[in-house]
Amino acid sequence: MGKREVLQGNIIAAKAAIAAGCNFYAGYPITPSSEVAQYMSRELPKLGYDFIQMEDEIASLGACIGASLAGKKSLTATSGPGFSLMQEHLGMAVMGEIPVVIINVMRGGPSTGLPTKPSQADMMQARWGTHGDHPIIAVYPAFSEEIYSETIRAFNLSERFWTPVIILMDEVIGKAHEDIEIPDLKEISIYSESDHVVEDLNIYDREIGENPPRVDFFKGYAIHIDGLEHDKHGWPTTEPDVVQKMQTLRMQKIYNNLDEIIKYKEFYMDDAEIMIFSFGVSARSSLAAVQMAREQGIKVGLFQALTIWPFPKRELKERFKRIKKILTVEMNMGQMKYEVERVASDDIDTRALLRANGIPFTPQEVLKAIKEF
Amino acid sequence: MRDYERYIRYRTFPTPWCPGCGDGIILKAIAMAFAELELDPNEIIVVSGIGCSGRMPTYFNTNTLHTTHGRALTFATGIKLARPEKTVVVISGDGDALAIGGNHLIHAARRNIGIKMILINNGIYGMTGGQVSPLTPQSFITETTPYGNIEPKFLASELLIAAKASFVARETIMRLLPLKQVIKKSFQHSGFSVVEVISNCHINLGRRNKMKDPITMNKWIASRSVSKAEFEKLPPEERNHKYPVGILWEEKDRLEYSELYYKHIVPSAKEAAKKSEGKHE
Amino acid sequence: MEKFERQANEEALARRAKKKPSPKQNKITLVPVYCKGCGLCVDICPTGTLQLEDHIEGKFGVVVKIDAPEYCIGCKMCEQRCPDFALFVNYDEEEEKVKNG
Repeated sequence: MGKREVLQGNIIAAKAAIAAGCNFYAGYPITPSSEVAQYMSRELPKLGYDFIQMEDEIASLGACIGASLAGKKSLTATSGPGFSLMQEHLGMAVMGEIPVVIINVMRGGPSTGLPTKPSQADMMQARWGTHGDHPIIAVYPAFSEEIYSETIRAFNLSERFWTPVIILMDEVIGKAHEDIEIPDLKEISIYSESDHVVEDLNIYDREIGENPPRVDFFKGYAIHIDGLEHDKHGWPTTEPDVVQKMQTLRMQKIYNNLDEIIKYKEFYMDDAEIMIFSFGVSARSSLAAVQMAREQGIKVGLFQALTIWPFPKRELKERFKRIKKILTVEMNMGQMKYEVERVASDDIDTRALLRANGIPFTPQEVLKAIKEF
Repeated sequence: MRDYERYIRYRTFPTPWCPGCGDGIILKAIAMAFAELELDPNEIIVVSGIGCSGRMPTYFNTNTLHTTHGRALTFATGIKLARPEKTVVVISGDGDALAIGGNHLIHAARRNIGIKMILINNGIYGMTGGQVSPLTPQSFITETTPYGNIEPKFLASELLIAAKASFVARETIMRLLPLKQVIKKSFQHSGFSVVEVISNCHINLGRRNKMKDPITMNKWIASRSVSKAEFEKLPPEERNHKYPVGILWEEKDRLEYSELYYKHIVPSAKEAAKKSEGKHE
Repeated sequence: MEKFERQANEEALARRAKKKPSPKQNKITLVPVYCKGCGLCVDICPTGTLQLEDHIEGKFGVVVKIDAPEYCIGCKMCEQRCPDFALFVNYDEEEEKVKNG
């Protein structure tokens, strides 16, 4: 039985990170995520762990990746403008197959935008923000318990797949104070792997779909980690066959293991004729709207995506077999709705409830959209 | 076997640099410094950014990391804070240290984080084909200053002293043994240390400015270095063409960043934790 | 097309003309695959022992030629000057076999 507390969303994420084993935080303050850094600056030193405020977001993610390579579990938190700055190093983490967790508490954009208002407008950026072919894992909690559990899951996924993981949040769930039962530490499962043994410095050698046997620095192997494309030793190469193989290995490391990565929640879906696809703050309004609609006899259900990337394509396709009306609810000018449209066949009626003015949808507004369907 | 060869990763040889490039000399000097200090290769990490200097870690038989342009110091900061007992070396060139990376440079210096930096000053962006850098002498011709460079160059060592770096030295690739000596001293310094090495890029800078072979360019480099004492005696108008070499600034008493963190922050935090524990449960 | 005729380094030959062969035998080891033929060692050698020559194993097809080994005085200036770890003076006999193997 855990402890019941009233906590701010940002603090819930920070607490969960420490429970997941986070022992290094490097960050730069930015509204609406600064509370994560402030909490970490107080709590990490108490445990003898590392906290440093760097000179900008680029330096923050750089320090996190460096610490991760030196054996720590690193976290940084930011919002839109900082997330844009972090893209280059996100690519470095993908290329080097380095675990790191990045929280993006989304606010109105683009550019400086609306620092104190929510949006869900960085969804596509989370997938494609950095250049080059790269897979990415992004998760997005909506309710307070999910902020806790998804943060733990993000750390576990990043350790399991040697990849950066993005935790998307929005200004509403990040800043809202809600009551939550913090689980007992014994109830939390932290992914850990026994130490790899690497022969002949083959730190990236593996079969398709597997993880590399990569080790951290200072483990007795004089390894080389590079942002340049590299061979199985990590040494730079431009050999076409080697390059193509590495690209495939990095992609399939994620895409061959979707069962471990995709997570979602379903509400009232068994006999639904209309499906709402949503996430984050919009999912909360949508759930209330679905409950109100059901009271009025409308057969509508909610599919709440917890894993945003990779996109739950297979899961949606399954539901499209019997549900032919989909409403995507998101606080932007249309981002995830394009993914839904891409996955839906021609006989599916896909619509979207969109808004990008910094005001979250009320349940009544979502209910109105359901009724208009 | 020479004692310094233990720190060389021959499996990745030959090096990618042009014939006669000073980068090879610097590689040797650093390896010699490691050897004289009898450091364990597994306890060392060499981090670099992008450029010809950025290729250097590949050739060290230690932990090595090749990062993004200008940000090597940020990765190294994370590594040093995570593992304060390790030797963390950063190798940067003109752009990596003073253009895109300029901000990280002054903050690393200010923080006095125990990173050992080797700043290779060859006055050009060599890797990308010879564009002007913040260290290119005024009036020189480069690929992006075809009519002559109108910007004055940074005095890298002097800038670092102003940014509160606690150990600053300058040497040239023409003086291998003094270079090795000063690098060794910088490794023994506990705070942030920088060794600025004047190097030759005859292919990209020299060739466009009447010094197309390494021997001519090296003579030019050698002719401009003077001792600190001699430099003080020079009249101001001559100082433009010379630079002082040797250890230019050294503060032995300043606490290194991670020392300060573990001696001050962590105990204060643990104190605070004890006090609040008494209050709650 | 004419074959490229490599010119000898006249300054090095001039330096050699002023010296006598060394009383002590000194061994210079070259690693041709690392040598880029930059010529820095040829320029620095005080007794003009070294020149350049074509060599198929050299990275750019030209490497150092130990032209007059008896003139080598074992000062190791060439080894210090070499940026490519290609030249060693009085290297250990055992290790030399490993290097060339």
